[in-house]
Amino acid sequence: MFKRFISLEWKQFRRASYFQKGMAIKILLFLAVLYFGGAALMLGVGLFFIIKKAIPTVDPIQVVNNFLIYWFLFDLLIRYFMQQLPVMNVKPLMTIPVKRSTVIHYLLGKTSVSFFNFLPLFVFVPFSIVLLTQGYPVINVFCWFIAMVSMTFANNFINFLINKNNVAFYVILAILVTFVGLEYYGVFKASEPIGSAFNYLYNHSYLAILPILMAAGLYYVNFNFIKKGFYLDDAVSKKVKEVNATDLSWMNRFGAVAPFIKNDVKLIWRNVRPRQVMFMSFIFLFYGLMFYTQETYKNMPAFLAFASMFVTGGFLMTFGQLVPSWDSEYYKMLMSQNIPYKTYLQSKWYLMVFAVVISFILSTPYIYFGWDIFGMIAAGALFNIGLNSFITLYGGVLNRVPVELNVKAKAFSNTNGFNPTQLLIALPKFLLPMLLFYVPYKLINFQAGIVALALSGVLGIVFRNVVFKKIEAVYQKGKYKTIAAFSEKK
Amino acid sequence: MITTSNLSKKYNESTVLNIENLEIPKGQSFGLVGNNGAGKTTYFSLLLDLIQPTTGHIENNGVMVHESENWKPFTSSFIDESFLIGYLTAEEYFYFIGELRGQKASDVDALLSQFEDFFHGEILDQKKYLRDLSKGNQKKAGIVAALIGEPEVIILDEPFANLDPTTQIRLKGIVKDLAEKKGVTVLISSHDLLHVTDVCERIVVLEKGEVIKDLKTSEATLKELEAHFSKVAEV
Repeated sequence: MFKRFISLEWKQFRRASYFQKGMAIKILLFLAVLYFGGAALMLGVGLFFIIKKAIPTVDPIQVVNNFLIYWFLFDLLIRYFMQQLPVMNVKPLMTIPVKRSTVIHYLLGKTSVSFFNFLPLFVFVPFSIVLLTQGYPVINVFCWFIAMVSMTFANNFINFLINKNNVAFYVILAILVTFVGLEYYGVFKASEPIGSAFNYLYNHSYLAILPILMAAGLYYVNFNFIKKGFYLDDAVSKKVKEVNATDLSWMNRFGAVAPFIKNDVKLIWRNVRPRQVMFMSFIFLFYGLMFYTQETYKNMPAFLAFASMFVTGGFLMTFGQLVPSWDSEYYKMLMSQNIPYKTYLQSKWYLMVFAVVISFILSTPYIYFGWDIFGMIAAGALFNIGLNSFITLYGGVLNRVPVELNVKAKAFSNTNGFNPTQLLIALPKFLLPMLLFYVPYKLINFQAGIVALALSGVLGIVFRNVVFKKIEAVYQKGKYKTIAAFSEKK
Repeated sequence: MITTSNLSKKYNESTVLNIENLEIPKGQSFGLVGNNGAGKTTYFSLLLDLIQPTTGHIENNGVMVHESENWKPFTSSFIDESFLIGYLTAEEYFYFIGELRGQKASDVDALLSQFEDFFHGEILDQKKYLRDLSKGNQKKAGIVAALIGEPEVIILDEPFANLDPTTQIRLKGIVKDLAEKKGVTVLISSHDLLHVTDVCERIVVLEKGEVIKDLKTSEATLKELEAHFSKVAEV
């Protein structure tokens, strides 16, 4: 039976529209996978030596063990938002003689072959090999490795549970918040005993059985959970959500664009995919930390300009690049309704501006890195509002990929909004702020660079009506193509 | 009201629609019938400027449909579920359409109150998103949304499909009322010959993209249509 399921899956994969896309995208995807895999591999190989150099007094494996808990928590967080869980098409299977348990085993097995389970292997395998070459005892390393893999799978199944079961989600959330809170205020550092537990596990190899049991136990819990709800109207199939309506009438003050903004807020709030984008754009806020903390970039202010643009531009770029696509499910209606294109575009612009402003407010802690940096973030925000937003909107029209709103994006099998044109349009978004900053910086000084970057945005805001007209014309021109592309079956 | 001249649509050399001349006067209830692939939806899509004509044009109340957007304020339509916004509740959707068509919330409420019968208590106050409604109920919501804002032209593609018998009968009443009392031009396509002949004053039969019959509805129309389509079946 399993063999047949797999052949069905294979057909689904082969015949899916994204697979029939151009060679260029496949190559790009392959490169992306290679990049992430490679990065993980490098980390795995280099980790030991990096730690050894940084903290020579402590055994690297101990350091790793102490930090493992954060790794797994982060892993879980990323999974919760990114990992697409299999919603198997159970309807046709329910009426034919296949044992339920077979289907469920298969379903759970399928979650195990996720990219998110392989990525950790790319780190743990080379790290373990390095450990072995450094003369660590084989039994200990091997058992430790098995334990890590089991933990990864345990995470995989926890994620399945919390995605499908609200109670499990809130219980785990509550536990996490409590421990993080205790840790943060220094009441009780849970990470220390957990760290020593991992160390203990490493030193007493037979204990590797515990994570294995944990993974197996979670598998069992999942199995029962699905089995209980193996009916069309339950866990495995789509869930009908109760409406949570909020009164947004206060937004009416935005005038002509109000109906669209209200709609977009609902769009983001009520659909899985845009929510995911929201989460992603929140991560962008921390982008600056990667750059401002590094000594190397201190002397490369152009990169700082780039990072500063990113800090406030997360939502703008992730949401904005899919601008007409968000409405792809009902685009025909919008096009036959009494809507001027300009108002539609303006409403999206306001939304992006709003997001930039919010991100800017949230970025105030960066003042810690000095006013120069914060000035740069402010200039980056202006650039985002006045220029980047328009480039993004312009790029959107070239991106005619329908988006399924209520389906999570799959990691690396989702080419929505990921095509060569999109990449081309992304280039000016990255290069422009660097250039706008770097030239005056080289010619005059740091402040001049900031002013130039900010000025570019102000210019865009001043001339926005002209720009809107231009973009509107482009959208109008591509209208039929866009409608045709959006009504293609997925 | 709606004038179609020399209209054709080709996809890679295969002609899917070719209408030399078709006049639909104001206030007419106009029915379009034909088998699958006859070009009904293509014609409606051209009317709404969702696809580009290969040749010719449609004029809606003096506005060239593929050149100007000025036909939008007085034209409304429901073609398929992709006209619904899945993540809204029915009420939110109605108000959204109302806002687009310059209607106050109270205007929309007044209109909706006329359709309580039609909704049969399954649309309003449901605490459900449109995407979670059944096909038939989605259709009800879409049809009523097309009536918001006092349009002069209403285009409904297969409005009777997926509806339960009671609702079909009510819908017929609504459509008749629109054309006769309010002077609205209603365009309907359907596979159900009985329904169209009941509702429409005029019926046009499309076959392979061409108009092959243009009938003024009378007692004999249903028979004639049935005879025609059974003949098609035999050939």
